[in-house]
Amino acid sequence: MPASEVMNPNPTTLKPTDTIECAAKCIMDNRYRNIPVVDENFCYLGMFGVNFLLKQVIPKSVFIDKGLKNVSFIHESLEDLYQRFDEIKNQPISMFLNNEVPPVSPDTPLTETLLQLYETRSSIAVVEKGTCKLLGMISYWDVGEKMLNVVGRPHA
Amino acid sequence: MHSAAQPDMIFGFSPVWFAGGLFVLTYVLIVTERLNRAVIAMMAAVLMIVSGVLTQQSAMQGVDINTIGLLTGMMIIVGITRESGVFQYLAIRSAKLVKADPWGILVMLVLVTAFLSALLDNVTTVLLIAPITLLIADTLKLSAYPYLFAEIFAANIGGTATLIGDPPNIMIASATGLTYNDFLFNLAPIAIFILLVTLVPFYFIWGRHLKAEPRLINKVMQYRELDAIKDWLLLKKSLFVLGLVMVGFIVGHDYGLQPATIALFGASLLLVLHIFPHNQEKQTEMVSRALGEVEWITIFFFIGLFILVYGVESTGLLEMLAHQVIEFTGGDKTVTAISIMFVSAVASSIVDNIPFVATMIPLIKNMAASFGGAEELIPIWWSLALGACLGGNGSLVGASANLIVAGFAERSGQPIHFLPFMLMAFPLMLLSVLISSIYVYFRYF
Repeated sequence: MPASEVMNPNPTTLKPTDTIECAAKCIMDNRYRNIPVVDENFCYLGMFGVNFLLKQVIPKSVFIDKGLKNVSFIHESLEDLYQRFDEIKNQPISMFLNNEVPPVSPDTPLTETLLQLYETRSSIAVVEKGTCKLLGMISYWDVGEKMLNVVGRPHA
Repeated sequence: MHSAAQPDMIFGFSPVWFAGGLFVLTYVLIVTERLNRAVIAMMAAVLMIVSGVLTQQSAMQGVDINTIGLLTGMMIIVGITRESGVFQYLAIRSAKLVKADPWGILVMLVLVTAFLSALLDNVTTVLLIAPITLLIADTLKLSAYPYLFAEIFAANIGGTATLIGDPPNIMIASATGLTYNDFLFNLAPIAIFILLVTLVPFYFIWGRHLKAEPRLINKVMQYRELDAIKDWLLLKKSLFVLGLVMVGFIVGHDYGLQPATIALFGASLLLVLHIFPHNQEKQTEMVSRALGEVEWITIFFFIGLFILVYGVESTGLLEMLAHQVIEFTGGDKTVTAISIMFVSAVASSIVDNIPFVATMIPLIKNMAASFGGAEELIPIWWSLALGACLGGNGSLVGASANLIVAGFAERSGQPIHFLPFMLMAFPLMLLSVLISSIYVYFRYF
């Protein structure tokens, strides 16, 4: 079975010009982990996700290479976290796209797709071969739902 | 001049030319940083043996086990101790002691960095302090640049103060038999004075402009430094062993104990205390992690350099150079000492001070006869130590600690660029060397 058969062909998308605040609202409203970002031609540019938002509200010195490993002495409030978010919320998401999770093509075998899903712990974009056009998204839920629906179906 | 075992010609060159050429080529490769410095030094060392300049047995005689053992032992002790969180505690506590006043924090971080650098190696110190510095500067919404710049200076000046503070001092001590107390009594006073003097320009350049909003200052004051201590039992064990090692450094010489023996004893004892209650599997994991804290690149760099320099020395080249230096300074010990200090400072701000000092040690030793014996060389050793350690402040590439701090600055989005740093740092470094030269002149001549 190829990846195209388990993908959601109508995923929610973001534009590169969307602000971080707008993207955060979309993520929170829908409980998404990652949302694909596409340009006006529906060309896939990368992902924007909840992990980025989490990173922005934690002190920067934690995330730099050889940075703080022990943060047990920092006691912050929700207001402190919001202040950090407030400083970046109006910036466009185009500057912070995640390209660490490579997209798959529609004919990628299901097992390979699932392995990538497992290893990256992120929803995966399905992009047309030879172009950058976004065809759909594959999440844990898409695969799980389709797999569970097999039960009770007559064998082919 | 060369040793009897050496061939008369090596690849068509006399041993002096071959060893000298290999030495220069090695330095050029180290400076260009195209290959890892440990690999370059090890390759040069092996070529010294393969070419016949040294035998394998004589090459091993060139390796200063005291330096290697001291560095390895201290790296293990610090690696285990840092897991307790004590260094973060110190940095936060010092910031809170001055009520999180931005200039006060700079002064305290300078003092803490200098103090830790005197007791530990500089690289470890800045690795511990720089992330906390970035956190505090970020919280206060201030540029981290003044803090990081000041910490570079503090690390190099603090390291000058003791035998174990900076690799050049370790090498000099090992080669000369100068003790921990000798370094403490001769170099610590001037290092402390230079550190305090250096704070004056820091204040006028940055300190008087450092201001933060009260609510941000309050955020720093809310840090709970005691929570930084993650393992109280490990902290007690580590402080006990560190204390024992420091006492060992101070009194060990009277009992014939070399610093390497003391450091390796401390490392072994701390490892025993650290792993004792755990099962075999856990012990293996803990020992593996502790040994992983040793900077093996630095250790192998030292081993390679020792063999390389020993090879050059065995050809008689350094003895010839020593005579040239004495001729240049007119055989005047004062001029020689001060010249060596300034040359070491300038050279150490351009190239790594470790290979420089490794070369200078046999060169200076060869001056003993001209100055009336090894005892007469002592002011020259202090000059070399002051020049090589303080010279590290002259540029970003002057010391490994500088590059570590610059890396932190870059990753935090506030890069320290080579030229602007040097424009400010080089004159300040020269000031410190000038003060040192006055000190050496009045104290020893």
